[in-house]
Amino acid sequence: MALTLTCPVCGKRNGYEFRYGGEDKGPRPAEEGMTPSAWCDYVHMNKCTAGVQKEWWFHRDGCGAWFTTYRDTVANLEVDAPEVTE
Amino acid sequence: MFGKMMPRMGTPKWGQKPLWGRKPRLKSHYDAVIIGGGLHGLATAYYLAKAHGLTDVAIIEKRYIGFGGAGRNTAIVRANQRTQYNVPLYKEALDLWPVLTRELDFNLMFNNCGNLNLMHSEAAMKAARMTIATAQFHGVESHLIDAKEAKALVPALNISEDITFPIHGAMFHPPGGIVRHDAVVWGLAKGCAKHGVHIHQQTEATAIHTENGKITGVTTSRGKIHTPRVLVTAGGYSAGIIYHMLGIKLPISVLTIQAMVTQPLKPILDHVVSSGAYHCYANQTLKGEIATGAHMDPWPNYTTQNTAHYIKHQAEALSDWLPCLRGVKFMRIWGGLADMTPDMAPIMDGNNLIDGFYMDCGWGYFGFKSCSAVGKYMAAFMASGNCPEMLKPFNLKRYENHALMGETAALVSYTPDN
Repeated sequence: MALTLTCPVCGKRNGYEFRYGGEDKGPRPAEEGMTPSAWCDYVHMNKCTAGVQKEWWFHRDGCGAWFTTYRDTVANLEVDAPEVTE
Repeated sequence: MFGKMMPRMGTPKWGQKPLWGRKPRLKSHYDAVIIGGGLHGLATAYYLAKAHGLTDVAIIEKRYIGFGGAGRNTAIVRANQRTQYNVPLYKEALDLWPVLTRELDFNLMFNNCGNLNLMHSEAAMKAARMTIATAQFHGVESHLIDAKEAKALVPALNISEDITFPIHGAMFHPPGGIVRHDAVVWGLAKGCAKHGVHIHQQTEATAIHTENGKITGVTTSRGKIHTPRVLVTAGGYSAGIIYHMLGIKLPISVLTIQAMVTQPLKPILDHVVSSGAYHCYANQTLKGEIATGAHMDPWPNYTTQNTAHYIKHQAEALSDWLPCLRGVKFMRIWGGLADMTPDMAPIMDGNNLIDGFYMDCGWGYFGFKSCSAVGKYMAAFMASGNCPEMLKPFNLKRYENHALMGETAALVSYTPDN
């Protein structure tokens, strides 16, 4: 089944309209006290989760919005945000 | 006359006993455990047993050997990569096919028909000159030819000006070609079993154990194994296994790569022909099918799904530069996983973050053509604990040291890093 994604502006659209922007790694680390290893971790390193992950997408062939969503990488389908368990 | 095929004991029914013996018993201790029964795992185990006398080795395979990339790649081998670190490794891998054919006493069906890498602009021709110079420096045969010479080699080629990407010339690499990938799986598995390696199929690794910074064992779906050495070489699954079992993050994105074959045709194509601009390559198999790939949906994905998007792309691209294929039907289509790194070069490292832990991953779509040489060097690495010179440039630290390799220059990268 083809991937569809829900753009916050345009709604549910064909996945090929979007560009993948990487796993969500939280906010960009502060410049102060930055080490090469911390920067490398933020820039390059991935968890490669087989399952639901939070990730960035860019609506390249649409409105140009950047947004995060959840996708199950094993089914290749967008899913609802998992419930937060403390 | 069928003596070699007949099992020595039991019911003499052909095909009942695999070349790699009957199902071995899972022992509670091995000198080395290899997670992943693909070509890199099989080749490493083979060389560990044969060249280093380390025969107490288990290969742990979740599904069956050859299920993953080993049986899904398009069987192309070549040694005309971009950088000085990669070319010698692939050259040795290429040189090993005839050697392994003899050594394993198994026909790997190496057909060194030559590779033709089409160039569609003057900029691409210039880049090809640089790649060719690197190859020639390392003793790999590679030449630049113009469009007419390419047409002479492959008469089916469309060298007219009125196609989407007119052909300016090609990088011609005569020693490359095709190896029957299933034969490599079977031949190596046979060689492994002959030297005492245990191949455990339908056995999933569920945890890797460490104690005081040392590897102590692996838990599998069939029981626990104590071992001082673990190699993770599970193709597309490696990065997930290494992060989720050991907490080591890797610069890898796992993408689905697709390929297909047409209906069988009479011989029309006796070279492997590829085009970066069309992102399409094709060769004719010994059965007559045109095997062609390889689209990747540019986002991480553990499925082996195929897409209508790709079928359309492939039909358009292929019939543009090989117009004689218009109207030919696609017969079979499949997908596999490619673990892509930001510099399109693999990660081979080990025995540093955790004593006795080794990794061989990040091969993207280059795992098949490298497996023979990598098995040899990873085995030397695991047997001695010291990284061979050949593998040192492929360390994980290069990302942190901003020493990424330049392989991206010669390849199509669909990863988010590109």
